[in-house]
Amino acid sequence: MLSHLAQRALERDGLADVSEKVMAHERLTESDALRLFEANDLAAVGALANHVREERHGDLTFYNRNAHLNFTNVCVASCKFCSFARPDDRAASEGWTMSLDEAVEKVLAKRHLGITEVHSTNGLHPDLPWEYYVELPRRIRAVWPELTLTFYSAVEIHFFAEKFGKTYEQVLTELKEAGVATLPGGGAEIFAPRVRRKICDDKATAEQWLEVHRVAHRLGMKTNATMLYGTIERAEERVDHMSRLRALQDETGGFQVFIPLAFHPEHNMIGKAFPKPTGFDGLRTYAVARLFLDNFDHLKAYWVMIGERLAQTALSFGVDDLDGTVLEERIYHMAGAETPQALAEPQLHRLIRSAGRTPAERDSVYRVLRVHDGAARA
Amino acid sequence: MPKIRATAVSFLNARPLTYGLEASDRIELRLEEPSASARALEQGEVDVALLSVAAVAGTDWEIVPGIGIGADGPVTTVLLAGEQSPAIWDEVFLDTASRTSHVLSKLILDSMGVHPRFTPMPAADGLALARGTKGALVIGDRAFDVRANQVLDLAREWNHLTHKPMVFAVWAARPGVLSPEICVEFQRAAATGLGVRTEIAQAFARERGGDPERYRRYLTHRLRYGLGNFELEGLETFFARAAERGFLPPTTLRFADDRIRSRVPRRASSAGAIDAALQRGAAGERLDAGEAELLDESAALPDLLLAADARRRALHPDGVVTYIVSRNVNYTNVCSTACHFCAFYRPRGHEEAYVLSRDELAKKIEETIALGGIEVLLQGGLHPELGVEWYEDLFRWMKRDYPSINLHALSPEEIWHIARTSELALDATIDRLVAAGLDSIPGGGAEVLDDEVRRRIAPLKCSTDEWLAVMRAAHRHGLKSTATLMFGVGEEARHRVAHLTRLRELQDETGGFTAFICWPFQSANTRLAPGANSAHDYLRVNALSRLVLDNVPNFQASWVTMGGGVAQAALHGGCNDFGSVMIEENVVSAAGTTFAMDSDEVERHIRDAGFVPVRRNMQYQRLGGAGA
Repeated sequence: MLSHLAQRALERDGLADVSEKVMAHERLTESDALRLFEANDLAAVGALANHVREERHGDLTFYNRNAHLNFTNVCVASCKFCSFARPDDRAASEGWTMSLDEAVEKVLAKRHLGITEVHSTNGLHPDLPWEYYVELPRRIRAVWPELTLTFYSAVEIHFFAEKFGKTYEQVLTELKEAGVATLPGGGAEIFAPRVRRKICDDKATAEQWLEVHRVAHRLGMKTNATMLYGTIERAEERVDHMSRLRALQDETGGFQVFIPLAFHPEHNMIGKAFPKPTGFDGLRTYAVARLFLDNFDHLKAYWVMIGERLAQTALSFGVDDLDGTVLEERIYHMAGAETPQALAEPQLHRLIRSAGRTPAERDSVYRVLRVHDGAARA
Repeated sequence: MPKIRATAVSFLNARPLTYGLEASDRIELRLEEPSASARALEQGEVDVALLSVAAVAGTDWEIVPGIGIGADGPVTTVLLAGEQSPAIWDEVFLDTASRTSHVLSKLILDSMGVHPRFTPMPAADGLALARGTKGALVIGDRAFDVRANQVLDLAREWNHLTHKPMVFAVWAARPGVLSPEICVEFQRAAATGLGVRTEIAQAFARERGGDPERYRRYLTHRLRYGLGNFELEGLETFFARAAERGFLPPTTLRFADDRIRSRVPRRASSAGAIDAALQRGAAGERLDAGEAELLDESAALPDLLLAADARRRALHPDGVVTYIVSRNVNYTNVCSTACHFCAFYRPRGHEEAYVLSRDELAKKIEETIALGGIEVLLQGGLHPELGVEWYEDLFRWMKRDYPSINLHALSPEEIWHIARTSELALDATIDRLVAAGLDSIPGGGAEVLDDEVRRRIAPLKCSTDEWLAVMRAAHRHGLKSTATLMFGVGEEARHRVAHLTRLRELQDETGGFTAFICWPFQSANTRLAPGANSAHDYLRVNALSRLVLDNVPNFQASWVTMGGGVAQAALHGGCNDFGSVMIEENVVSAAGTTFAMDSDEVERHIRDAGFVPVRRNMQYQRLGGAGA
């Protein structure tokens, strides 16, 4: 039940019809989503999103024990929001590329940490051979078969297909055979061509990004979906973005989680013109996403990006997943994120518990491994 | 399924509990005289009855949790009336309607050392006979018409005697009748009824005559319909005292849901009571301590935000969020108090100990003016050697050289300390500081105004009463101040609520608080164990405070400790002010908080959250031109 206070506030905002649809589990239109964005009533819209969140997941809040592997920051693309990419491997440009041995070793060295997933997204390197990308998961899996490999964003998959003369299906099939289980959701940015032309005009288009995920879903791979907010996009372009994801999800059911990502302004080409989106914008975006994306099970706040306090707050605005312990993240930290490099599991539990929620460790396809509903650890 | 049969009295005070039952398809209600209700329940004619609490004594009946009828001050409808002072009464006529009031009359008169003879008598007759050394008990709606020389309001007397609320009536049932669903049905009915008290009062005035506004205030300001921890303590005390004096048999309260009694979070079982308290708070009605504790412990964050946002909309309907350009200057870090939560202080002689020189201060003030600042917030440690003369010299110098700057200085702790160091009375100290140029005082050092907590976290600091005494004196001298709460130091809901109600009482008395701000204890570099330094808790406590502090006009969002995003959420959960831009703030940053914003960034946050930024001064007057 939605509280009287929430009902009254939504009526006051002229959102009674949207609220009724949500309560009746009816689908919201794009214009409904736009009205939710424009209502500027965080308390009321948040309460409605929280209702949906609790209806789906109760108090459970998901996380996993994961690490990131960014094996190269050398990138042929020139996305204007990016602080991570460098044009080449020369020391002067701060570019780096790990050798295959180094990358494998980097992952295997974490074996004793009890992680269940490695998440890898990287620059579009001009020279690395196809064998590198296939050998990496294959060699990791040979030694550590239980580890789930969430490897290569759709932008990278598209890049491989073009560079190595393969279809998406061939690329994905080979990677799947090599041990890649799921795809991360990166590189979606904003689908609207107007925005894409301005902030990332030389990488996979919206259609190509969506097609990679469509093929992955057809091959039985689960994937994630992201949206980069806070650059030059308008509210209706965020809604359009989510709408395209919702349509593909209707078709395939292969997305497991939606992850809005806040633009980080430091050390990149457009940071001066566009300050970091405020926390209000983030909370509002989570809430609208939870209400609009009725066919997505999960909504993730990536704490590395928005900070622990806001991520914790987001747990009452629709969010049910906080990503994970995230060892060795580099992309956001190079864009000025001041969050710690990793959160120990007890810290993550405390963050979740002090928001009145119950921590639930999940695997990479959202199966619950353990519900931590006992008393807090000392 | 057969309907549950319930009975209640037709008194006005019962109507908010019964109103919502008229439409119930599970409960059938009939109305009778109070004494008849208990008999009907005893004889199995009904399943549930709204009973005077004394009727429950010695039975195995179960009580519906979360709701009842009580008061934590004057109730106006349970009165002892007479011509002469009760001290000389030798006979009291007891209205036959309620046994609880009989017992209460005896307990109150007993506590006054008065031991009259008690004679049962219908109320109208009793009142007519209450002449000379005779008094009469009058209860219920009849009491509205009592005109007598001497009137004792028994709920007020009880509250003075025990410092606890009095509970007069509860829903009671024979064992096994009350399923969780039926309890919820009664609680929902109460929530419904409490929402239409204005209408109930109007209907009652039409039936009976009289002033509907008076009846409304009776229902909203006198009576308490929550049955929380405070009320349960009141009820237990009542039964214990009555048993001790032999007025009632020893009684163990039984609840349909015994979790209420064990005082664990009551989210599901008292949903109706929570909803009712939220609606009352959202409507600007005064929450009592029991309701505030219930909300603190059990209300969901989204609902707290909505209720507090409703208050903010009512108090500040124009969508303006104010902020000030002020600089926090910590004139010394030498402090003799050594609070466990403080990372800022240094003992005298420590290599990092300092007292700012005039030159250093002048530089800071000039920088502040250059940045558009209109105020300096001057706070420091409790330096054992700085007496009132040192401050007088400092203030006179500042006011002479920088007359445009508002001098917002010295927390109550510091003023108390200066008075002690200078061997002056508090009033004289404040007099001299004001004469030297002090304009207003910050509300820091309040921490949690409960001595149980203060003794643990800041054993050398002034007590709750001392802190309040400084504020009272300052307000009397015309100084305005802010009020604060630092939570998350291991205190419980009851301590936070006590803090808020104490501030509220003082504000009722003086009206001197301009604003309230709270933040969680920041744990890095201090000796207290990391507490719940949680944004979630911050938003909860802030919203709850907005509801309880119904008489404090402004609420500041604490972006300095929580970051801009959480502070924006607080603007949608009770706050109407974004505090100050950051020029300097040593105390919090020493404990590891690193947020900083200039005025452009403050205004961007305010605008982005949907509000219009406007600069203000310490009195919360808006300054023209800036920020529009």
